[in-house]
Amino acid sequence: MALGSLMARDAALAPKRTHFQAKAKNVIFLFMAGGPSQLELFEHKPLLTKLNGKPIPESYTKGKRFAFMDSSHRSDLLGPKIGFKQHGQSGAWVSDYLPHTAKIVDDISIVTTCKTELFNHAPAKMYMNTGSGLFGRPSIGAWVTYGLGSECDDLPGFVVLQSGPRGPRGGAVLWGSGVLPTTYQGVPLRNQGDPIVNLSTPKEISAAQQRQVVDAVRELNMKRLVETGDQEISTRINAYEMAFRMQTSAPELMDTSGESQATLDLYGIKDPKEISFARNCLLARRLVERGVRFVQLYDTNWDHHGGPTENLETHLPQKSRDVDQASAALVKDLKQRGLLDDTIVIWGGEFGRTPMGEVRESTGRNHHIDAFTMWFAGGGFKPGTTYGQTDEFGFGAVENPVHVHDIHATILHQLGIDHERLTFRSQGLDFRLTGVDPARVVKDVLV
Amino acid sequence: MIRPHFFTLTLAVISVGAAAPGKIEFNRDVRPILSENCFACHGFDPKHREADLRLDTFEGATEDRDGAHGIVPGDLSKSDAWQRIISEDKDEVMPPPKSHKPPLTAKQRETLKAWIEQGAKYEAHWAFIPPQKHPGGGIDHFIQKRLAEENLKPSPEADPATLIRRLFLDLTGLPPSPSDLSELSDWSDKKYSALVDRLLSSKHHGERWGRWWLDQARYADSNGYSIDAPRQIWKFRDWVIDALNADMPFDRFTIEQLAGDLLPKATESQKIATGFHRNTQINQEGGIDKEQFRIDSVFDRVATTGSVWLGLTIGCAQCHDHKFDPIAHKEYYQMFAFLNNQDEPELKVYDPKVDVKALAADFKDVESRLKAMVKERYAEVTEWEKGMAKGFREKLTAPVKKALAKPVAKRSLADNLELYSVFVPRNDPLYILNDRFKELDTQLNKGTTTLVMKELPQPRKTTVFIKGDFTRPDVEVQPGTPAVLHPFETTAKQPNRLDLAKWIMSPENPLTARVIVNRVWQQYFGRGIVETENDFGSQGTLPSHPELLDWLATEFMAKKWSLKELHKLIVTSKTYRQSSANRPDLIEKDPQNYLLARQTRLRLDAEVVRDVCLTASGLLSPKLGGPPVYPPIPDGVMGQGQVKRVWSVSKGADKYRRGLYTFVYRASPPPSLTVFDAPEGFNSCTRRIRSNTPLQALTLMNDSGFFEFATALEKVIEKDGLEAAFKRCTSREPKPDELAVLKKLDRLNAARTLLNLDETVTRE
Repeated sequence: MALGSLMARDAALAPKRTHFQAKAKNVIFLFMAGGPSQLELFEHKPLLTKLNGKPIPESYTKGKRFAFMDSSHRSDLLGPKIGFKQHGQSGAWVSDYLPHTAKIVDDISIVTTCKTELFNHAPAKMYMNTGSGLFGRPSIGAWVTYGLGSECDDLPGFVVLQSGPRGPRGGAVLWGSGVLPTTYQGVPLRNQGDPIVNLSTPKEISAAQQRQVVDAVRELNMKRLVETGDQEISTRINAYEMAFRMQTSAPELMDTSGESQATLDLYGIKDPKEISFARNCLLARRLVERGVRFVQLYDTNWDHHGGPTENLETHLPQKSRDVDQASAALVKDLKQRGLLDDTIVIWGGEFGRTPMGEVRESTGRNHHIDAFTMWFAGGGFKPGTTYGQTDEFGFGAVENPVHVHDIHATILHQLGIDHERLTFRSQGLDFRLTGVDPARVVKDVLV
Repeated sequence: MIRPHFFTLTLAVISVGAAAPGKIEFNRDVRPILSENCFACHGFDPKHREADLRLDTFEGATEDRDGAHGIVPGDLSKSDAWQRIISEDKDEVMPPPKSHKPPLTAKQRETLKAWIEQGAKYEAHWAFIPPQKHPGGGIDHFIQKRLAEENLKPSPEADPATLIRRLFLDLTGLPPSPSDLSELSDWSDKKYSALVDRLLSSKHHGERWGRWWLDQARYADSNGYSIDAPRQIWKFRDWVIDALNADMPFDRFTIEQLAGDLLPKATESQKIATGFHRNTQINQEGGIDKEQFRIDSVFDRVATTGSVWLGLTIGCAQCHDHKFDPIAHKEYYQMFAFLNNQDEPELKVYDPKVDVKALAADFKDVESRLKAMVKERYAEVTEWEKGMAKGFREKLTAPVKKALAKPVAKRSLADNLELYSVFVPRNDPLYILNDRFKELDTQLNKGTTTLVMKELPQPRKTTVFIKGDFTRPDVEVQPGTPAVLHPFETTAKQPNRLDLAKWIMSPENPLTARVIVNRVWQQYFGRGIVETENDFGSQGTLPSHPELLDWLATEFMAKKWSLKELHKLIVTSKTYRQSSANRPDLIEKDPQNYLLARQTRLRLDAEVVRDVCLTASGLLSPKLGGPPVYPPIPDGVMGQGQVKRVWSVSKGADKYRRGLYTFVYRASPPPSLTVFDAPEGFNSCTRRIRSNTPLQALTLMNDSGFFEFATALEKVIEKDGLEAAFKRCTSREPKPDELAVLKKLDRLNAARTLLNLDETVTRE
């Protein structure tokens, strides 16, 4: 058979048409793994300070379930030990733990009434990423890559970066492809060793020899393609070409020596070689510049129960310092490069924390799912907004609750995708990210 | 972008049922249209039934509803459903625009019209009618009948070398050795069938097909979720391999796995078999409600039982009545009740397969590292002891109190480890090393354990959960099975898992034999006769060859559920033995090969990719069974999950074991396997997707394991020449132009090229 008719482009990742006009092309999701305390960062609740140490009225907690109910869970209110101020034209409240975020409030949409369903870390992280606590569901990055394809032919379409002392609870399932083909799963870019597993050529082999091998493999595969007429061989030939390009493009991506000192200073990067959330933010910008569709950053240890390594007094302020400047810098940097219009930046964790304190070795708060804060920037999100109203303790929404499925629906909407029409058939069902119950696009936070 | 490619192609290229104009058959022609477009709102589930109209039964569709009728047989003008389908009014037309379903096509309308005109006859769903014996018989008869209808000719038999390699890979997961390929010149049917017999009795057959079953059993070696601690359940894996090698009849195979512990005088082996349903994950995260996750694992067991044995999406009825198939919410919890009465213990087994010497060396090494670590960090214990809050001491466990009572100098390693485990976090290196120490200690000194099922003396109360939420119990239910299937009969007062298992294997069950033969077929041709291998319900695709499916199912039962007989039937058929090369006429008429006018080239499963490269390079250790092994993995992989696990690379021959023996941590599975689509054991996998990605290329080119195989293959080239190495990878002689390409490279890079060929990782 003729070779020309047999060589096809790999269709799975080719850019695809959207359901309607898209406002954004890319997503950067800054995931604060563990559940950052909205009450120390964004939610200004004077009554909480006033009633510090008093029990929360039973009407709030009756019939509710919490993590650690059998041991360390407490019902006494805990006032934050940090001051809050209003900032910017919009007058958004931000605590003094986040001085840099305070400076970009007019560029972001803060949503204080986010709501999820599950209160243990691994299941809740799965819920935030896949819309379900059950295994086997694709993550949002996989859905987006499946729906839109990739615009980058030398890097994966969905990339994951990590910082903090450990990997996020749940591991690979958080960026997995579930029922979707593995082509769409997130590829972790690592800060040490090879940026992608098995990216570098074995040290015994020179670059020229590697190219020879790729060429020989292609030549022999082509002969087999002609012999068998199997299109999969043509896909494999393309895959080897892309793999070879990735061997150059991924190290080039990770090499930040071309970035100006001003840029490094903006992000607060002291040593560009050192793994940090700040460096990952810079890499996120570089990935988006190269057309990578979905970038997700995990920063771990936001689980401030009051244990020996995670308390509100010293560790939360430290974590805040780790991410505050770089998160704000990412928004500023994208904006000054004209990339913010096309890119949605998301900041948040799998849940928030209770207004009640928790007493272990020191002070902390328990997991809380009824109301927590996330912020969104760029990609057609309305700048300078604070959306949603919680009660005087910040326990639950009194107006405009935003469920995780609503967040997903809204993000997809900005990418030009109708969340009800982005489906994949498996086990007789049309799976979708937002599940079966109705989800809403939160139009009030959109331009 | 809305539908996966394979799905649209099913419908576009050959409509599987191929309606002949004229006589309409409900199951073939009408049901797919109604199920896709109508049943979600006019189906089995009364809670979501619109206008109180159901179209999934004749009674419902024709019911008099204040003078109106959904369907009036033979009368289009009085059939409201039809009038709404052809309506041009946006508020009237069905399906409604807000459902996002496109309007029915002209052809679909024509079908419905003809069906109503012909009397709107309903049939029970095909899969709920027991398989029938159809005239004629044999795989080739049914396949060729259909090909003739489409004016297509089957392909010629593949050449002997391809056939030998195909049989080896399909039946044992290993490629043929050079001597296995030496009899090509006087190839005959007799030799073919002798080879089939030989491979079916090879001990590697159980490994190959064991992995097929372990996918469905969601087997892995850790607890999953965030902590993902190692677990021991490999005795179950070995039980599966042994059972398949012994050709245990599939009915017994099923009963022992679902309820081996309940058999009279249950043997150790029968108890080990119940590990099937212990392959669910265990959440060890702090602050959880244990009951919530116990119930989650029962949900998983119900769903897995449904998809593995019944090919039904029973799990859909966890929160509500099934929308497409007649399975009620309450019936789901009746199934749940069978699986809700277990204790979940560990069984101690002393295993003759363990390599005690290697284990002892490993144990000693870890022990001394642990001792050193404890010594070095002893200040932490002293500090913790000093800083202990008042009243805290009383809450400690007995062994900790005992250790504390001793003077520091008298404390044993075990004592100290008890102390550390109280205060060091779970991701502390000491904690993790201690996990490994305990694991080795158990294996070496306390024997092997394995997870099993054990029935509680007093059954738990089972209720319906509203919306599947365990905090919202509703009415109490007793164990039972869905009414749409064959009757559940038992004399037991309290029916248990054994009754469930026997019900599943009842000869009256219309589903199980079909589901299993279909899933075996899928391994040989890349796709089942029913493409939706885990959904035989009305949302599933119709069988491409319904008579063949029934014939295989009845043969399977008639041959006493022998899987080996089934394998033999398939691999000795002409259909299986065809060449897989594509043809211009097929590219046009059947590019996805639904009709099987040729074989299909299939990229090898992840484990077999490894096995083939290991064998080609001469490194494979053919040892069967035993504890999982730790071949080299890339640096940094184990840090993906919350707890960074120890991965001490196996020494000696264990480094070169078959892929199915590699230890799988669910939260950080081995990349060289997952990159080729090996499942992580999160839930039952009844069909692997075959992806084809750049990461696979990077793995074969650069992974240190595969590089080591290449260096071994380089030595083969050195000793036996390039032709021999080529043949080890592809099982055929290279052509002169192929050799010319390879000769341009040095030996090592020629070896690397060979291991990277599409052909090397493909069964043709």
